[in-house]
Amino acid sequence: MSSDQSPKTDQKQRMLEALDNKVADPHPLEQYEVIGKRGVRRTDGYEKATGAARYTLDVQLPGLLYGRFLTSPYPHAKILSLDTSETQKLPGVRCVLRYDDPELPEGASLGGHELNNVAPLPAVAYFEGEECGAFVVADSEEIAEAALKTIKVEWEQRPFLLDVEKAIEPGAPLTNPEDYPGSNVHQVYLEGHGDVEQGFAEADKVVEFKWTFGLNTWIGPERPCGVWRWNGDFAAVWVKQQRPHIAKRAMSTWFGGIPMSHIDIHCLYQGASFGGWSQMAWNLGGHYCAAVASKRTGRPVKWVFSRREDFYGGNMDAGVFYVKVGFKLDGTIMAVAERGVTLNQMMPTFGIVAHLLENTKIPHVQGRTEAVWVNKGHNVPTRCEMNINCYTVNLVFNHVAAALGMDPVEVALLNDGAEGHDMEWLNARKAELGFEVRDSLRECVEKGKAAIGWDEKWHAPGAKKLPNGRMHGLGFCWTHEWDDSAGSSEIGIMFERNDGSVTILGCRADVGVNAETTYCQIAADELGVPVETVRFKHQDDAGFYTMTPDTSTNLSVNGWAVRSAARILKQKLLETAVAPRAKTQLTSFPPAFPDLRPEDLDVRNGVIFEKANPDNNMTIADFIGPSGAQGPLTSTVGEPLLVGKEGIGYPYRGTPPMFDHGWHIQRGCYLGVRLKFCRQAHFMEVEVDTETGEVDIRKVVTVNDVGKVINWDGCEGQAYGGAIMGIGRGLIEEVVYDPRTGVMLNGNLLNYKIPTMMDYGEIETIMVETGMGYGPYGTVGIGEDVATVLPALVGPAIHNALGVWVEGFPTTPDRVLQALGKA
Amino acid sequence: MATVQERGIVREQTVQLLVNGESHSVRVQPQWTLQYVLSDKLGLTGTKEFCGEGACGACTVIMDGRPVLSCMMLAIECGGKSIETVEGIARSNHPLIEAYIKYSCMQCGFCTPGFVVTAKALLDRNPDPTVEEIREAMVGNLCRCGTYPAHIKAIQEAAAVLRGGGGRE
Repeated sequence: MSSDQSPKTDQKQRMLEALDNKVADPHPLEQYEVIGKRGVRRTDGYEKATGAARYTLDVQLPGLLYGRFLTSPYPHAKILSLDTSETQKLPGVRCVLRYDDPELPEGASLGGHELNNVAPLPAVAYFEGEECGAFVVADSEEIAEAALKTIKVEWEQRPFLLDVEKAIEPGAPLTNPEDYPGSNVHQVYLEGHGDVEQGFAEADKVVEFKWTFGLNTWIGPERPCGVWRWNGDFAAVWVKQQRPHIAKRAMSTWFGGIPMSHIDIHCLYQGASFGGWSQMAWNLGGHYCAAVASKRTGRPVKWVFSRREDFYGGNMDAGVFYVKVGFKLDGTIMAVAERGVTLNQMMPTFGIVAHLLENTKIPHVQGRTEAVWVNKGHNVPTRCEMNINCYTVNLVFNHVAAALGMDPVEVALLNDGAEGHDMEWLNARKAELGFEVRDSLRECVEKGKAAIGWDEKWHAPGAKKLPNGRMHGLGFCWTHEWDDSAGSSEIGIMFERNDGSVTILGCRADVGVNAETTYCQIAADELGVPVETVRFKHQDDAGFYTMTPDTSTNLSVNGWAVRSAARILKQKLLETAVAPRAKTQLTSFPPAFPDLRPEDLDVRNGVIFEKANPDNNMTIADFIGPSGAQGPLTSTVGEPLLVGKEGIGYPYRGTPPMFDHGWHIQRGCYLGVRLKFCRQAHFMEVEVDTETGEVDIRKVVTVNDVGKVINWDGCEGQAYGGAIMGIGRGLIEEVVYDPRTGVMLNGNLLNYKIPTMMDYGEIETIMVETGMGYGPYGTVGIGEDVATVLPALVGPAIHNALGVWVEGFPTTPDRVLQALGKA
Repeated sequence: MATVQERGIVREQTVQLLVNGESHSVRVQPQWTLQYVLSDKLGLTGTKEFCGEGACGACTVIMDGRPVLSCMMLAIECGGKSIETVEGIARSNHPLIEAYIKYSCMQCGFCTPGFVVTAKALLDRNPDPTVEEIREAMVGNLCRCGTYPAHIKAIQEAAAVLRGGGGRE
C-alpha cells in the first residue's frame, strides 16, 4: 500500500468511503500473496471432514427439553376447540402451550426480512402441515411427537385452492380471508421501460409462448431448529438461521423488550440454507414458543421440525407465465411483454423481466406479476429471487434463435447491453467508473464454446439422432453475474498478544461457501501475515454483525469491511511501531523503529521491516508482546525496567491493544442502482430418449466472470455445486400436492428426488476475471448464480434435441412425452 | 414411542457396543435408532440425521466391516457389534481426511461425515476404485450443495496414499 492509499482515520471520510460502492476499486493491492492462490486450505475443512463441526441440531445441554408443533391435517381450516387434557398427563411431557395461552401474543416479530407481526401459535391453518394450535415440550423429541397425537382438535374445514390460475377466476373462494379479504391476488407488480406496443409494431416477427414453473424447495440437510436457554435475565439462543443479526433484532422486541446486550446469539455451522427457511415470516415462531416454555420449565428448550415440515416452504418462483416477443430478422429483439401468475410469492418485487432490463439493449420491455395466494406453504427467495428472470432471459433468447434458425449465442451477443442501451453505451460507462473496458459476454462464450465443442456439435433443432437411438441436443444460456442486495457489515479485527495471530470478529452464518477462508485471505494479504495465522470467529455474538450469505452479496459487502479493518489496523501497527511506546517516572522507551516514519515500514509474512533496510525488522509477535500482568513478562523488546524495592526487572510490553474495525454499507443494487458489467454463460449437452422421455445430461460447461477470483475452491464449488443443484431444479425436482385433499404427497427424500453422484455427467467450470465487479479487487458474487441460471438451460437443450418446446419445468419425462405428443 | 414404553411391549435393555475400538455399555429404549444413540447418547455427533429414512447416507457407519445406515437400525439390535464412525476414522489419521480438505469436498458440511465413512468402506474393500466404481459406491450419499465432483478426486487420492503411491500434486 503506497502512502497515497493510506486509510483515512477521519470518521467522516471513513463513512463516506463505506458508502462508495458504485465505482471500480480505487485501491487494489499491488501484489497478491494468497488472494487468488490455488490450494489455500479451507478453515472449516478439518472440522467438517471429521464430524467435529457442530450444528444447531447437535446442541445438547444439561436438562434439555424438546418441542414440537401441532400441524394442520387440512389445507385450510380453523381450530374451533382444542382438548389437551390427556397430553398434559403423558409421562415426560413438561409443558403444553396452546394458541389461547394468555402469555402468547396475537402477534410478534418472528422473522423475515424486517420486523413483522405474526402469531406464534395461530388458530387458522392456510396449508396442510402448517404449525398451529399447540406446542408440546417433552423430555425427548419422540415423546413430544407422541404427545401431539393425544391432542383432540375440532376443526372447521374451509374451501381450498391449489392452482394459481383457478384462484384468480371470478368467484373463486378466498384462500386466506383473514389477511387478504378482498382477493387471492395480494400484489400486482409492474416493471419495464419503453412502449411494447411500439416495439411489436416495429418488429419483423412476433412469437408467443407459455411456460410453467413447478414448485421446488431448498432441502437443507439440517432441519429447521433452535435452542433457547434463559440464563437468569439473559437469553442464550442457538439459531439455525442465515440471518443471526435480524433474528436478534426481532427477539429484542419480545416480552416487552429485551435489551440487545442481554441476548447471546450462537450461530453454529448451518446445515445448508439457500435463503429459504431463513426468510420465512414465521421462522422464529419456534424460538418464541421455546422461550416461553423455557421460562416456565426453567430448562433449555430445543424446538425442531420434522423432515416433512421443512418441505412446506418453497422456492418463490413457481407459477405460470405468458411471453410475447417481437424481433427483427437479424435477431435484434425489439420488445418483450411477459405476464406471470406466481404462487405464494412473498416478494413479487423482484419481477420477472428484470434481467432483460438489466443486461440487454432491448428497447421495449414490460413485466406484470400477479402474486397469488393458494393453500400451499409460503415461498421465499431460494438461491434465489432471480430464478424467474433467468428463465425469462433464456427462453426469450432461445425462442428467438429457434424462430429465425440462428445460433442462440449470436442472438445473445447481438442484444447484450444494459437498460435498453447497446454495448457502446455500456462500455463508455465502464470507462467512466474506472473499469478496464472488456467484453465479458464475448470472453465467456468463447471459452465456453471451446470447452463444449459448440462450433463442431451445434445443429438445427431435432436434427441429430445418435447411434444409441437418442436425440442429441446442445443448449446455451447467459445472464449477468450478480451481488445484488442491500446489506451492511461490521467487522472487528485484532492481533492476538503472545503470537501476533489475527482474529476476525463478526457474527455470521457459515453456509459452506468457504467465505470464512476468503475473508482470512483478504486479511492476510492486507496485513502481511501468513493466512494460516488468521481465523474468522463467526459463530459467536461479539457485537459485530456482518452481511448474511444472501443474494451472492457476501464478498461485495463483507470483503470491503474486512479489507477496510485490516488496512486501518495495519496503519495503526506501523504508526505504533515508530512511536515512543511509553514514558514512566523512571525512563522512557524508544520506538521499536526509531527515526522512521510509518510509510518507511512494511509488513510481510508476519514481520515488520524497514523497506530500505529489510535487515531492520521485528516480528509482529515480538512487537505486540505477551499477555498477562502478573509476574515477569518476557518481551524481548525494550530495555528492562527497574521497579519496586527489590529492583526486579520487568521487560515492558508497551503497546496498546492492536484492534480496529471496519464496516461497509451496500445500498440495494437492483435495477437502476448500478450497472452490471460481468456476465456468465453456460452450455449443456444432452441426450433425450423419445420413447421414455428421459433426459440424460452428458456435459455441462459453466463460465462465470467473477471479476477476480479470491478463493478458487469457493468459486469453483459454487459453480459445479450450483450446476448440480440447477440440474435437479430444472429436470426432476417438484413438490406435489394431492388436488383432492390438498395434502403434500412427497415431503421426503425418497419421493422428492435430488441429484445423486450418478445424475450429472461431466461438469467443467471456467472462471473469467475481467475485474469489472464492484467488490474489493474487482470481484462480483457467484454463490447463487449457476444454481439459478442453469435450470432454465435444460429447456433449450431439450428443444435442440427434439425440435419441440417442453412447456413445463421441471422437464420430467411425462412433460417431455407430452411435448412429443406421446402422453 | 412413549406408548410402547408405557404398555411395556419391549423393555429397555442394556447393549454392549464396540464403537471405534472402545466398549460402551448403553441403556437403550427399544425404539431408539443407532444414529440417535451414537449422536445423542455417546456424543458422536458426526453421525448425522438428514433424511431419517434411509435415503441419504448422512448417518452411515461401518458395522462389522460393512457400511450401514444407522438411522435404519435399532440400537437394541446392535449388541456386540463393532461400529466405526467418522470420529474413529479421523482418529486413525486415515488419508481420506486430508484428501477431503485438500479437494474442498465440503460446503455446508452436514453430509460430509457420511461421505467419509462410505468412502472408507469402499477403500477397505477396493483399494483402487475407478471413477465409475466410486460413483456407484457413493450414489446413496446425498449432498444438497453438489460437492460430488470433489469427492471423486479425494477418494482417488486417498486410495493412492493407502497404496503407498503418495498423493497427486
